[in-house]
Amino acid sequence: MTTFVIRRILQAIPTLFGISILVYAIMLATPGGPVAALTFSPTVTPQERAALAAQLGVNDPFHIQYLRWLLGDDWMRFDSDGDGVADTAYLIPLDADGDGEPEPPGTRRGILRGDFGSSFFHGKRHVIDVIFERLGATLELGVASLVVGLTIGIPVGVLAAVNRGGPFDNFTRIVSVIFNAFPVFWLGLILLLIFGGTGLGLLPMGNRCGLVLVGGCPPLYERLEYLVLPTFVIAAGFLAVYSRFMRASVLDVGTQDYIRTARAKGLSGRMVWFRHGLRNALIPIATLLGPSVTGVLSGAVVTENIFSWPGVGRLAVSSLQQRDYPTVMAIVMLASITTIIGYLLSDILYALIDPRIRLR
Amino acid sequence: MKTALRLTLVLFVLCLSSLSAMAQEGGIVVRGNAGADPTAFDPLLTNETVTSDIQALIFPDLLSVDPATASIVNGPGPNALASGWELSEDGLTYTFSLRDDLYWTDGEQIDADDVMFVWDFIQSGAVPTHLSFVADEIANVEKIDNFTIAVSFDEVDCDAILSIGALEPYPSHIAPEDLTTMPDQEFNQNLYVSSGPYTFGEVRPAESISLLANPDYVDAELGYVNNDAFVLLNVPDLTVMVERFLAGELSIISGPQEARRAEIYAAEDEGRVQIYTYPGNSWDYLAFNLADPSNPQNAVDEDGNAIDQGMHPVFGSTEVGRDVRRALNMALDVDDIIERATFGEGTRMASHLVPASWAFDPTIEPVPSDPAAAAQMLTDAGWVNSDPDDPSSVRVCQGCATAEDGTEMRFVLNTNEENARRTAIITIAQESWDKIGVKAEIQTLEWGSYLEKLFTQTLDAYVIGWRNGYPDRPDATQLFTPASDVVGGCSNCMSYNNPEFTAINEQARTLPGCSIDERKALYAEAQRIIQADTPYIFMFVRNGFYAAGSEVNGFDPFPSQLLWNVDTWSISQ
Repeated sequence: MTTFVIRRILQAIPTLFGISILVYAIMLATPGGPVAALTFSPTVTPQERAALAAQLGVNDPFHIQYLRWLLGDDWMRFDSDGDGVADTAYLIPLDADGDGEPEPPGTRRGILRGDFGSSFFHGKRHVIDVIFERLGATLELGVASLVVGLTIGIPVGVLAAVNRGGPFDNFTRIVSVIFNAFPVFWLGLILLLIFGGTGLGLLPMGNRCGLVLVGGCPPLYERLEYLVLPTFVIAAGFLAVYSRFMRASVLDVGTQDYIRTARAKGLSGRMVWFRHGLRNALIPIATLLGPSVTGVLSGAVVTENIFSWPGVGRLAVSSLQQRDYPTVMAIVMLASITTIIGYLLSDILYALIDPRIRLR
Repeated sequence: MKTALRLTLVLFVLCLSSLSAMAQEGGIVVRGNAGADPTAFDPLLTNETVTSDIQALIFPDLLSVDPATASIVNGPGPNALASGWELSEDGLTYTFSLRDDLYWTDGEQIDADDVMFVWDFIQSGAVPTHLSFVADEIANVEKIDNFTIAVSFDEVDCDAILSIGALEPYPSHIAPEDLTTMPDQEFNQNLYVSSGPYTFGEVRPAESISLLANPDYVDAELGYVNNDAFVLLNVPDLTVMVERFLAGELSIISGPQEARRAEIYAAEDEGRVQIYTYPGNSWDYLAFNLADPSNPQNAVDEDGNAIDQGMHPVFGSTEVGRDVRRALNMALDVDDIIERATFGEGTRMASHLVPASWAFDPTIEPVPSDPAAAAQMLTDAGWVNSDPDDPSSVRVCQGCATAEDGTEMRFVLNTNEENARRTAIITIAQESWDKIGVKAEIQTLEWGSYLEKLFTQTLDAYVIGWRNGYPDRPDATQLFTPASDVVGGCSNCMSYNNPEFTAINEQARTLPGCSIDERKALYAEAQRIIQADTPYIFMFVRNGFYAAGSEVNGFDPFPSQLLWNVDTWSISQ
């Protein structure tokens, strides 16, 4: 198992490297840039725009920008004699904006040295700080959605299979199709209208907690009502997928010889299904865990917007719109790592559930 | 005696408690914010819309603005440091007297040093700032004593007072010695020193910003801030924001989608909502490129000499093709566009000045809609239908002044795809022009891409908008003169250049004595010139729209001034 995990982690390195090059290239190839968004005002002169572009380094060629992101720029332009003024430069000019003065020495250390860079927006703060202050909200929503999806979807799937062709099976089949077919933004708005203040008034219409003047949100257990609607919107898709997968899996297992043998031994139906059938039927579900992680992230983008949920999904959208390259790259890399971990956990779970599988 | 004393004491306590009950009515004002999350707060480093709203509530101004007239007052005003000014005889130096009764929340007195710091910061160039334009307009700022400053100019500038207004006091005593580190200071994320109706409470990123009533606010109209707090609640989805307002989760909203305003009007009819609308200061226009888009050039070279920018094959240049542009204007029914694109929530414009501007001349009528006359004007200008029996057949140049014979009247009309209103405008324009044989291909681009493309000056025609400042500055130097026609970073991206307009605009800005009536006459002339030249089809200003729940007491806005009296507001339970 350890060897397997280490090998998979090593395999992930070139994968992440490839993702970073691809995403960076696509991002820079997209028309538009942060300078226009930052400076669209009649009071900003072309010279100021040029200076800002030089300062952000967004006019540099792709390989320079990528190297700066990967390895930093403290070796590209630096102060060799300690007088505080940059005097030596590799790959980039000393005077990038052409004003006759050298630019300040580079300070970026690059992602390989743990520096994801500073946002072009957000007060130029480190992107990791910006992302981490949102990560808790996204994790809260993601974990809740997965838990709801799994804890309801799996039993529903099992019960539907056990009662195959019955009213419950038919009902869950219809509901699954509906949940799968509803776009997230539509379902979110409808739920808001039904349960929010303009409808039944049973649940809050957004945000992570009520009005708090100072001291931050209270603990989760004191604000569960804020989690209900956004969790349900994301979990609806999981419910549909897990219940249908589970139903099919249980029905498939039901045709296996060992189930027939168990029945022949005279075991009760409950014992047959829950002692012998369920563990084997869970195996395909384990393979869904990896994709579920990406499902949580993509679902969060829309759901967080509708429910004013202060998570990473909203940050990703706004950063893309603003062309905040460092933030976009950091989110993409974190999402990639999370996805790889999700798939790795899937494989490990697969081996734990199915004794026939050996990880090598 | 003891009984009398006790009675007196009881009466005294009762009086005190009734006084305190009369004092603050309380409540939390919750404003919906659909804008981008604020990313920084230091007033010298950012002027994002949301941040500016917050800064206005917790920092003092230098000058006082009368919300009823939208003009700067030469005298004391609430939360303004200057108590008045004197102008030198040559009109070049303003000497301001500063109040000595304003303090920062940490107890430091606000004085001339806090204004001088802003000027020094701008001049230092240590950190890029949105205030850098001030250094181009003001010649010098001098501290006379702790409560007097003098601001001087190289030339008479009738809008000078607006530039001076940008020098808002800053708590200089907390600024770092190394100004380049200001973006990294805690103050950029937590405005822990302030002076205004509110103090900074807490930022919950992407969720809310709370401001707490400042018990030491000396300029409160009632003697105290009448509510407990002001919260800016982030609601990124505009549809949801209206729903949450109607549900009572938000006390006030501004500028909701035009499509949703009918529901809010209905709620007003039911007595659940208070509404204030006005012709706003954000306006949409359709611009024509008046230079050769295949060879974009700056208007002038480094020595100030004019550069030949060529002309657009359809729209011509500033001097050539006026009739064509006016015909394209007349082919559109802008009132219909306002109805269809904004659900009637717009006010027609006739020129580049918004109706709220003091220089706006209401006698100048908008260009009338007359498609038949427009078609005839195009024919007269040498653009004739390719099929004389079909008025919608594409027009081709036959003796036109801007292109070779046989050139078809086709061009691309752009706007940004996220904006439904502008997308509607270009769609309606395309339909209208198609009927008279003008073929516009519409193209929408993502905002960032759109701006970059716009700056390259390679677009044919485009729809976009401006938002004027407050108080309004009618000067059009940045929008319609060659100085701002620079490829790669323009605000005069369509290369409009009429020396007569430039001269009149300049004359109005620098008029000796700055007579309002004379300046107004000059700006009226400028409006007539630009309407005749038609570099833009001036569309409409979006109507400003403020709405408050019926529980909000004290809601009494003026144009662009929703919160001028927010210290008197309270929220009924």
